[in-house]
Amino acid sequence: MRLLMNPRNQLRLFSLALILTAGLVGAAEKNPQFVQVTIRTILAENKTDDFDPKLKGMERQLKPLKYRSYRLLKAEDQNVPSQGTRSFEIPGGRSLTVAPQEFQDNRIALKVRLTEREKPVIDTTVKIPNKGNFILGGPPHDGGVLVLSISATAQ
Amino acid sequence: MRDCESIRESIGRWLDGELDTAESESIRAHLASCEECRKAQQQLESIDQILKTTLLAEAQQIEFLPFWRGVQVRIAQKTPWHEQALEGLRATFTLSRAAWLVPAGIAVVLAILSLDSYIPGLREGRNSFASVESIDAYGRNVALLRENESKTTVIWLYEDQEEENATADEPAKSAPAF
Amino acid sequence: MELSDWDLVQKCQSGDMASFQELVSRYHQKVYMVVLGLLHNRDDALEVAQETFFRAYRKIRSFEGGSSFYTWIYRIAVNLAIDQQRRQKRNPLEFRETMDGVLEAQEETARDPFADVHDRELRENLARAINELTPEHKAVIMLRTIEGLSYKEIGEILGCSEGTVMSRLHYARKKLQDKLSAFL
Repeated sequence: MRLLMNPRNQLRLFSLALILTAGLVGAAEKNPQFVQVTIRTILAENKTDDFDPKLKGMERQLKPLKYRSYRLLKAEDQNVPSQGTRSFEIPGGRSLTVAPQEFQDNRIALKVRLTEREKPVIDTTVKIPNKGNFILGGPPHDGGVLVLSISATAQ
Repeated sequence: MRDCESIRESIGRWLDGELDTAESESIRAHLASCEECRKAQQQLESIDQILKTTLLAEAQQIEFLPFWRGVQVRIAQKTPWHEQALEGLRATFTLSRAAWLVPAGIAVVLAILSLDSYIPGLREGRNSFASVESIDAYGRNVALLRENESKTTVIWLYEDQEEENATADEPAKSAPAF
Repeated sequence: MELSDWDLVQKCQSGDMASFQELVSRYHQKVYMVVLGLLHNRDDALEVAQETFFRAYRKIRSFEGGSSFYTWIYRIAVNLAIDQQRRQKRNPLEFRETMDGVLEAQEETARDPFADVHDRELRENLARAINELTPEHKAVIMLRTIEGLSYKEIGEILGCSEGTVMSRLHYARKKLQDKLSAFL
């Protein structure tokens, strides 16, 4: 304890603690162990004029697509390990596979594949801001089209 | 009653104040009545006195400033130049300043570097859009769109029109009307 | 309000030279006295005393206040003086001013000639008697006589037990008494 009463040692300890914290925070930012991926599967159609209250917060993103109604079919979260893959079931015999690639400048690179009846429909690599999202839409379903909101957060 | 031999063995410690009360009292009582032991006490006191006064007189002749200059010369001659530079820095950035300056500096740098983690939307401009690095639609038509107001990137997959007509009663538009 | 030794040490550790200067001013004469008592040569004592403070300056950052500052500084001084004595014994130098001269140069108040001669003889023999002691015995005598340090403090400085301090003091005093009894 006498060592800690020395102001010099207090300074050393405090600075070391700060540097260690910075290192941990920095390390966490640079190399996230997991990426939490959220897929919101939305049905966009023109049969009705409804905006699902569960999609609150997404109006600005969805309204420009100019469909009359938007309904949340399902929302699913998965923690995907960096350099790993996870698949999400999408209505219509479809599957969305997500693979986080790298994390740099607070942006996450995601490799995404949409398959339909096990055949690839689209492969894309998108860099999104951490905690941000992008939209993948167009596959027809139930008289409307599927709009997939794909968001990712580094863990 | 202690004999003189034993008393003389203890006189030094008695003079030094290192005996307990009982022992001190017994020495004092003996000295009051024993001339030989008193003589031994006086001899020790004389030796102490001469040494002390002599050396004190010598020491008082040592003036501080010349002595201090001698120490400074040694410091200047025997301290490597890089240590002297470090000493200069230490004198400028004293502990009382550095104690808060260093961690405050580290905290400021950390705050600047991680600001965008805590203030969403701080990074404006194209960085807030998702950017499509590669795309393979396996022969299908695909459109890339950016909606500026919501800063949203849209990848729109166009299905084959005939296929769409066959499956839908009231087909929705196959493409968004941007 | 005067700063304590420990306050000054802490300021020194931050690079405050003025605080170190204050510590030197507090202890330079005391250190010189002890070292002169051990070396009985003014030039050597001055050199060792200055070297003591130089070493203290270099080591000040490692001083954590486990002992008092003066215990620490005396430890450095006594060790340097003992090393110097051992070097002198191995490589005897030509005779320079000895304790005889130191004692003789002391200012004396006027006294009757008979007493004057008696004192001079006493001083010469005292110097010789002290010189015949080992460095360790000289050290305990000087620290006790000049500084009035306790046996515990002397033990801390010399790195020995109180019992060892006590027996060394007893031996040294006995030797001095034996050699000087005719003059005392």
